[in-house]
Amino acid sequence: MFGAFRFTNPLSGGLLWKTPWRLSRFQKTRQRRRLRAVDSVVATLDAALAKQGQTLTALETWKETMPTEAEMLPKDKYTIFDRKEKRYRKGIHKLPKWTRVSQRLNPPGY
Amino acid sequence: MSASYFRITLHRSAIGLPERTRGVLAALGLRKRSQTVFHPVEPQFAGMIMKVKELVRVSEVDRALSPKELREERRPERGFWLEKAVPR
Repeated sequence: MFGAFRFTNPLSGGLLWKTPWRLSRFQKTRQRRRLRAVDSVVATLDAALAKQGQTLTALETWKETMPTEAEMLPKDKYTIFDRKEKRYRKGIHKLPKWTRVSQRLNPPGY
Repeated sequence: MSASYFRITLHRSAIGLPERTRGVLAALGLRKRSQTVFHPVEPQFAGMIMKVKELVRVSEVDRALSPKELREERRPERGFWLEKAVPR
């Protein structure tokens, strides 16, 4: 009845894995928190290197191209471009390892 | 200009991530979650941290702590407190 061997639709055989099409608001909160965590790491590196008078190409490129969490549109925070999807967008949680990779930019106009 | 260090803590595991990413963690000396390492503030280490920025928490500190001091940091205070009962 309960536990690992309960008879729910996904478990009683067949191909039925349902992934919600959008993030819940708690997932969105955590997503924003992760984005901010990455921003803070980048800011720390930047401040530390600037103090030493050093610079780093990867860091400069990131600051130049990547928007911070506050600058991003909600659309880009929670969804990702996909050319096969209706209206060209799908939830970012469809991206493999989405909680541990940076995915901030999408094609302009989409 | 005083030497300072990055205090790097592995926050997220790299299980299932590319070999390159795990290699960077190995190069930083991070083997398991919550492990903390210190590296001097240099572009070379900053670049390595950039590669794994989604997995680590970083702060800048002015000296590297020894494993003993790190352990001491985690130790809870000894003894106990008597809390006064809240009047109902």
